[in-house]
Amino acid sequence: MDTKNSTAAGSTPAVADTKPILEVDGVTLQYKTKEHLITATYRVGFDVYPADRFVLLGPSGCGKSTLLKGIAGYMKPVEGAIRLKGREISDPGPDRVMVFQEFDQLLPWKTVKQNITFALRNGGKSDNAAEADDIAMEYIQKVKLSGFEDTYPHMLSGGMKQRVAIARGMAMEPDVLLMDEPFAALDALTRLQMQKELLQLWEDTHFTVLFVTHSIEEALIVGSRILVLSPHPGQVKAELNAFDLNHENVGTKEFVEVQQRIHDMLFADRILEDEIQTGDKG
Amino acid sequence: MDKIPDVLVRPEFEASDIGKASTADVARKLTLIERISDMHSVRKLSILVIVVIVWEVYSRLSGVSELILPKFSATALALADAVFSEQLLYMVWNSITVLISGYAIGIVIATLLTTAAATTRFGSDILSTLTAMLNPLPAIALLPLALLWFGLGADAIIFTLLHSVIWPVALNAHVGFMSVSETQRMVGRNYGLRGIVYVVKLLIPAAFPQILMGLKIGWSYAWRTLIAAELVFGGSISDTSEGASGGLGWFIFVSQMDLRIAYVFAGLFMVILVGVVVETVVFNKIESLTVRKWGMQAR
Amino acid sequence: MSTSSNNKKTAIPQLVLRPEFEVSDIEQAQTSEVARKLSTLERIWNIDGVRKFVILLSLVVAWQAYTVGFDVEPLMLPSFWVSFSTLIRDLFYSDLIWKVWFSIKVLLIGYSAGLFLAAVLILWATVSRFGSDFISMATAMFNPLPAIALLPLAMLWFGLGTASLVFVLIHSVLWAVALSTHSGFEGVSQTLRMIGRNYGLKGFGYVWKILVPAALPSILAGMKIGWAFAWRTLIGAELVFGASSGSGGLGWYIFESSQNIDTDGVFAGLFMVILIGFFVENVIFRNIERRTVNRWGMQR
Repeated sequence: MDTKNSTAAGSTPAVADTKPILEVDGVTLQYKTKEHLITATYRVGFDVYPADRFVLLGPSGCGKSTLLKGIAGYMKPVEGAIRLKGREISDPGPDRVMVFQEFDQLLPWKTVKQNITFALRNGGKSDNAAEADDIAMEYIQKVKLSGFEDTYPHMLSGGMKQRVAIARGMAMEPDVLLMDEPFAALDALTRLQMQKELLQLWEDTHFTVLFVTHSIEEALIVGSRILVLSPHPGQVKAELNAFDLNHENVGTKEFVEVQQRIHDMLFADRILEDEIQTGDKG
Repeated sequence: MDKIPDVLVRPEFEASDIGKASTADVARKLTLIERISDMHSVRKLSILVIVVIVWEVYSRLSGVSELILPKFSATALALADAVFSEQLLYMVWNSITVLISGYAIGIVIATLLTTAAATTRFGSDILSTLTAMLNPLPAIALLPLALLWFGLGADAIIFTLLHSVIWPVALNAHVGFMSVSETQRMVGRNYGLRGIVYVVKLLIPAAFPQILMGLKIGWSYAWRTLIAAELVFGGSISDTSEGASGGLGWFIFVSQMDLRIAYVFAGLFMVILVGVVVETVVFNKIESLTVRKWGMQAR
Repeated sequence: MSTSSNNKKTAIPQLVLRPEFEVSDIEQAQTSEVARKLSTLERIWNIDGVRKFVILLSLVVAWQAYTVGFDVEPLMLPSFWVSFSTLIRDLFYSDLIWKVWFSIKVLLIGYSAGLFLAAVLILWATVSRFGSDFISMATAMFNPLPAIALLPLAMLWFGLGTASLVFVLIHSVLWAVALSTHSGFEGVSQTLRMIGRNYGLKGFGYVWKILVPAALPSILAGMKIGWAFAWRTLIGAELVFGASSGSGGLGWYIFESSQNIDTDGVFAGLFMVILIGFFVENVIFRNIERRTVNRWGMQR
């Protein structure tokens, strides 16, 4: 990937000093449906550095979820390579924990605590039941679910389920936490709350997170760095900084400007497509 | 505590012109061979062919006695012979008519029971008590009583068939009605549905996955009961005055008594055929016209 | 009503503007009955078990009254009391209890062997596509084939004895369980599968820790159907062929009684069949369900 000259702000480390934790290098991903072979992304490349809140943003059909599945190791790229800490990814593994959008990602036959200890024990994070219990309780407390540790998932609300999933993912302390539109199925107020809480959690340890969303606003609030993808097939459109934007300056001039800029980027294609399909439409 | 890493700030960039992706395959049709080998029916058919070949080869080469395992070819010939010269189809028809009458009457009675259960709590209690007791009772165990009460004949078989159908059908329909969601009930009443219209237009479709499951279980119990009854008491029950009559179960029993094992296999083929037709053709058709079309799979 | 055309603008109602307000202090509700206890009688009658017991009792009373009152021929329909006494007599002073034990023993052997074979088949199906195709083919063919129809063949292959019974029992359990477990596995959500692999589960661990619990509702349903088929097959098989296997079981007891026109014995046998069936379905399976799928909210 071609990076232009550095204009980095003062106090933070320079690009040259730090190695990217995750490198996605010219990746093309394809999958089969019953009748067709679909190219989801075409030669997509980007680097994720430690402590990044890296957002993959794009309209539906830009292959952002497929890309995340590729990084998680569920599918292999047709060309290009995905490297985590310099090592090429071949299989799913607990060094990249995935948080899904679907509420059924919690194992319904395990309580909140057991869901987390299950991950710790099977993911090789802990081989001691008591230790796993302690870690689980710590993270349950972090996501503000103390008192619910022995509850089965079907008794929890959607927001609480997603919190458990996030706690489970964070408890694994993965190299990179992969989040596939984790708040998309929540109501607007809960979503806002969850975005804030995620940022608070990030403040504690600055974990690296790769976050997929189709909401420009969410991308700007949650992300520090945003990769904008174009659809059919997914290709890199731009990579932008957003580390100084969060829920506090939603609606400010600065925020709206970036929002508009991304909107134009994504919308430009849409108009072009319309023109192609329906002829000239002033 | 480790030092918390900081966000690394890098320059932004924007692709001014992506250009069209130059891969040939944004979306490509799969090739014919790719699609054929994905087809379930093709793969299943080849398995069937393999099994038949293994059977034939094994029975020829191992010299296993015809009384233990007849060759596949011998079985096929026996089936043809039974169909063309021993009126096997007529026997199958005998079984099916008895089965259908038992099944139909059973469903009517189950409907009455379920309606009573759906409208009053007392009816609901009676139904759940009766099903809890009688559903685990194999219908075939009632055959001795049925023979005593109705004498030797189709009536006795129909009585046991009724018993095998009523309880699973009523039980599942009842459970289905009870689990129709409160929202759907309120929607129905909102649009002014009442009484029998409410049951027919709202409760039955909403509970249809469960009802269908009950019908399927009822069918499979009835089919098993019928074959068992014919196998066990077929001789005394069937109307032997015409010579070649009785049902499919009776055919199997007689063939086994005469040590015509190829004909036993032929009879079993017929049993499988009827079962497969009912389960995969009739019920699948109903499913694809209703619950699958409506996106409410039976579960 | 007239929104369809826009030249009747006058008919459109306009917004009514009114002042805003805010309640500063909400008082306690003044009604006397926010929640009232039901009377004791109402509550007792609301217990399901009580009502069902009353129904059962009235059925028994009706039966007794009918047979005694109308002087029904006991060979056709013995009274409840006579049938019940026969049951007690044969259980404690005759060998009925041994016959029951014999049936249960054979049933358990056949059932567990069937479950084991189903598990082997399913494992094969999860590791290979050929296995999976084979299972769908075999279950489609053999599931509709009543196990009892195989009894003549079984007796030819294994002789007259327990082995034949076990063979048909296996057949009655195996396909039902394999069918529903297989479709249960196929219905496990993609998300759960990815979660399992994300935490590094592979092979047997993946099947045991993810697929089996996730498909447990289907597996249990299959085990219940398998039990029901096995129970029906066993009673049916014993009704005819039980005698030849030496001691004979519960089904044989019913058949013997009916041959001797000992109708109260038939009813005593039926009581026993109902009792065992009720116990397995409403105590054993109900408890397993309560502790697993109901508790996990996977099934109401």
